[in-house]
Amino acid sequence: MSEQAGTLLELTGITKRFPGVLALDDVDFELRHGEVHVLFGENGAGKSTLINVISGTFAQDKGRFVFRGEEVRHLTPHKARVMGISPVFQEFSLVPDMTVDENLFLGRERARFTLLNKRAMRATARQIIAELGFDLDPTRKVGTLSRAHQQMVEIAKALLTDVKLLILDEPTASLTEAETTKLFALIDKLRAQGVGIIYVSHRMGEIKQVADRITVLRDGRKIATVAADSVSDTELVELMAGRKIDVLFPRIDHRPGERLLDVRDLTLVSGAVREVSFHARAGEITGIAGLVGCGKSELVRAVFGLEPIAGGSVSLFDKEVSSFDPLAMLRAGVCYFPSDRVAEGLALARPIRENVSMAALDLPGFARGQVLRRTEERRAVQEIADRLKLRPAQIEPAVGRLSGGNRQKVVLGRGLSRDIRVFLFDEPTVGIDVGAKLEVYELMKVLLDLGAAIVLVSSELPEVLNLSNRVYVMHRSRMVAELTGADINEPAVLACFFREEPAAAAA
Amino acid sequence: MNDTTLRPAESSAGRSAAAFFVRYGLVIALVVMELGFAIVEPLVLSPGNLLNVLQQTTYIAVFAAAQMVVILTRGFDLSLGTCVSSVSVASALVMTSMVAADPGNLPSALAMGILTGLGLGVAVGLFNGFCISVLNVNAFVTTLGSFNICFGIATTISDGRPVFDVPKEFSELMYSGTILGVPAPVIIAVAVLAALHLLLNGTVFGRSLYIIGGNPRAATLAGLPSRRYLVLAYVLCSVLAAVGALMLTARTGSGEPNLGGNVTLQSIAAAVIGGVSLRGGVGSTYAAVLGAVFVTALSNCMGLARIDGYIQQIILGCVIIAAIFVDRLRTGAR
Amino acid sequence: MSATTLDSSRAARGRHGWLANALRKIGFLPALLIVLVGLLVAFEPRFMGTFNLFNVLRNSSALMIVASGQMLVLVVGGFDLSVGAVIALTSVVTAKAMAVTLEAAPDDVSTAILFGVLAGMACGFVTGLVNGACVAFLRISPFMVTLGTSSIATGVALLLTNGIPVYGMPDAFVKEFGRAIWFGLPMPVYVSVAVLALVWFMQRQTTVGRYIHAIGGNMQAAMVSGVNTNFYLILAYTLCGMLASLTSILLTARLGSGQATMSGNLMLESIAAGVIAGVSLRGGVGRVEMVALSALFLSILTNAMNLLKINSKIQTIFMGVIVVAAVALDEFAKRRSRDARGR
Repeated sequence: MSEQAGTLLELTGITKRFPGVLALDDVDFELRHGEVHVLFGENGAGKSTLINVISGTFAQDKGRFVFRGEEVRHLTPHKARVMGISPVFQEFSLVPDMTVDENLFLGRERARFTLLNKRAMRATARQIIAELGFDLDPTRKVGTLSRAHQQMVEIAKALLTDVKLLILDEPTASLTEAETTKLFALIDKLRAQGVGIIYVSHRMGEIKQVADRITVLRDGRKIATVAADSVSDTELVELMAGRKIDVLFPRIDHRPGERLLDVRDLTLVSGAVREVSFHARAGEITGIAGLVGCGKSELVRAVFGLEPIAGGSVSLFDKEVSSFDPLAMLRAGVCYFPSDRVAEGLALARPIRENVSMAALDLPGFARGQVLRRTEERRAVQEIADRLKLRPAQIEPAVGRLSGGNRQKVVLGRGLSRDIRVFLFDEPTVGIDVGAKLEVYELMKVLLDLGAAIVLVSSELPEVLNLSNRVYVMHRSRMVAELTGADINEPAVLACFFREEPAAAAA
Repeated sequence: MNDTTLRPAESSAGRSAAAFFVRYGLVIALVVMELGFAIVEPLVLSPGNLLNVLQQTTYIAVFAAAQMVVILTRGFDLSLGTCVSSVSVASALVMTSMVAADPGNLPSALAMGILTGLGLGVAVGLFNGFCISVLNVNAFVTTLGSFNICFGIATTISDGRPVFDVPKEFSELMYSGTILGVPAPVIIAVAVLAALHLLLNGTVFGRSLYIIGGNPRAATLAGLPSRRYLVLAYVLCSVLAAVGALMLTARTGSGEPNLGGNVTLQSIAAAVIGGVSLRGGVGSTYAAVLGAVFVTALSNCMGLARIDGYIQQIILGCVIIAAIFVDRLRTGAR
Repeated sequence: MSATTLDSSRAARGRHGWLANALRKIGFLPALLIVLVGLLVAFEPRFMGTFNLFNVLRNSSALMIVASGQMLVLVVGGFDLSVGAVIALTSVVTAKAMAVTLEAAPDDVSTAILFGVLAGMACGFVTGLVNGACVAFLRISPFMVTLGTSSIATGVALLLTNGIPVYGMPDAFVKEFGRAIWFGLPMPVYVSVAVLALVWFMQRQTTVGRYIHAIGGNMQAAMVSGVNTNFYLILAYTLCGMLASLTSILLTARLGSGQATMSGNLMLESIAAGVIAGVSLRGGVGRVEMVALSALFLSILTNAMNLLKINSKIQTIFMGVIVVAAVALDEFAKRRSRDARGR
């Protein structure tokens, strides 16, 4: 037996590559029995890839996976669960049309010859829910529950079996303060029973509260593993953000001019954004920072007409916008660049040329009425491709053949295909490599010089902080701060998140 | 995702071979099939028969092109066949009754018959498009519904019997007539398909269909009027089907309530075999025509080899499943 | 039905009043059924005739069995266009098998019947298996697969018969089984009740039912929870095929001959019964008791149209409209409840 004393899981040299992205680069990770081990890092640092490898969703390309002293190969989600690895993901593995107890027991029903023992299952479900102190009705359909309650079901589901390793991915993101307290009590109990817990979180406060050790990831690499009581918050944040030697943000000269976009008291039907006001001026980058799910993405989507608006107003060039739909916004000079390019940005089977020109087909430069001007189109798109340094500089291959960085350039090319003054960037550098990131930043610089207003929504703090002239901070659907000048720094932004929490608890 | 970024050097020879087969596989299969059947039945390759195949192809090509238009948008039209039947019966009825009422005014009878057929096509297309695009009903269910509605219309207005005495001038116009020796159906089909090709490649509408099929969300974000164009796509599909139905009616010389029996299946088979992807966004008039040639040649060969018509239906079913499987392989890499 | 109506019902109560409340308590479909039967009893004396009632019961029994199979496939998020073809094929194969065995051994009637029934059930089994395997392993769209197999099955049925009805089934099978009246009710009624009970039991009380629902509700979740999704997908299609075969055997026994044109409108009606019963085309939702009710409703409706001498072709049109309208209403309700929840 090569098992070290107390080691539950040992990963060595884990590497995972996705097309165009090196998601995990030679990562080592160790989890002991009865330990809460926090994974800390920015979005895209590799945390979720790592927990997906551990729970069997992705297979690593390279590296050793040793669980309870034995090397594991060809892990599947099912095998992982049988071995006692229970993940609680942010995207829930629940069936909305089934009840809470049906979901809890999905895949391991109490049954004899397929005949269900419903009474026993319901009793056990009640018992577990009571033990956890959750406020859940086992007979309710999961689809009717709030996100917080679905989260509870997910946690209860993970704990139903003989769990040895529990993975919690941002578990408190949708819980109330009281529920969070209960969750932490539960974590303590499990820890005492010798369960190893991997805990992913952005929230400094709770990390300090629950963690035994913290592993910091950045750009798919392990930066450090430290004991929780030996580091300060600032040290952690520095480790996370790093002084990135590999990404040098370009120097951007902001020359704020007139207000192009003015949003007042915007509230969405979905409630993801509540009474938010902000503005963007020509010649500067306006950053919007916030945690995942804080509503920052929905905010700019709403401006582009993609989310139904319940109240508030949006003005462009001092004129109030009356009808919100993408075509009207494009015509008014606003373009939105989605974060999920495969789902929303690109028609992968179509050539680059068509993907670039598709937002400009109403312009005389591309079509006379219904008739396309294909020669002009080709020339214009080729010019855009050259400007964006698309490589190879061909415009006829299907977009599906391009790497992440080039795909992003194709999406951005749409903004150059017509007269756009306001650019709404939603996580513009997610999933693309460093070189392409730099080119995206350079493009922003060029756009600014041309007098555009740029709104940059990003979960990557260094990006927002280094590029923006002014930074708005969103937290829990609301705008909580506007930072300018020397106030634009990490502690200030992070402080906004922590400051809000006691307030929310009091409410 | 693509694997080129993953393993750039690996198996480039294998890939280009695969690409070659994807591109020319159908043509190769067609040639092999013709030669194979020619061994059994030399008549297959006789000029007369090949000309016959070409004439036959015109109809299926029009139907396959119609089906392609909606498959491009990730849609589907099961009602195509019964739409053909109802157009055939309706136009025949209008022509015969107008001629019976006023034998002198033949041109207007023909014109009204053709307009009725096309108008019915527009109506069916509007119904399909409206349900799918505006009411958000699944394309399969909608067209399954309109399949039955059209079937009901075709059999009700004709009482389930063929409508005879279609003016022979109509048959001359759309079937037996020639211009410079070229048969009318060929001229009509070529004209219609060429127009369709221009429409798909040269207009904003055509381009939008490809983008809507390629990624509907992206089309919305790009400000394209997806809903309107989707309705138009179904209208276009049914109108093309109506054109094909008029051509077939001219050939049979009667309005047939069962004219479209196998047309749905054949049109889907031809389009998919030609390389129109069921996942949307990929396909061309050329692909539809090529698929139509293949399907026609297949049934022609089987007919000459005296293979039972029912076996032909079985083979068609197998070919469809095989074609979809190939389509999956083709797009599965993405 | 779904829990979203819980919220919206509370909001709507004030606006609509007693009629809506009553409807909600009984359920829309049963209410519709009661109204329809009430109208028929009041205005159409022929409806209550024994012959007519038996007819309705026979027809609805057949539809209930096919529709409960179709429901299983709809619940896993699929669709089976091939049930009509399976019915045709089974009818022909059953009759042929019986006729051939009977010819070989004229005295052994029970062997002939057994052989015929087994051969018939095998048709549904094989077609369902092929459908399910294509959907599960090749990930081909269920519409296309079943369209293809439907063409194949129809072709085989026609090939076997040349379109001519197959006679020569044992008299015992036709008279003592197919047209039998047991305890005052036509035989198919008992079969359909048994099938419905079994499907209900499977849906509610076994892991099979759970997994079928879970696959349709959230395939990913079922997979990570360790459900063998491929197996249950195939099972759903196979059961659907076999239930179609069972229906066909009942119809064949009653008719006394195997016919390649027997399916009539059953494919469309089975889908109509499903969507009217609130089975979601996106999968995961569907209750067999509701499907049975809507099958009964459709059969009575058809009967009413027949009594009113409405042309059968027009009935086809009507059925097409009903299917589309039911799905459109479902979509509309979903969109509204989504909006309501957003607020």
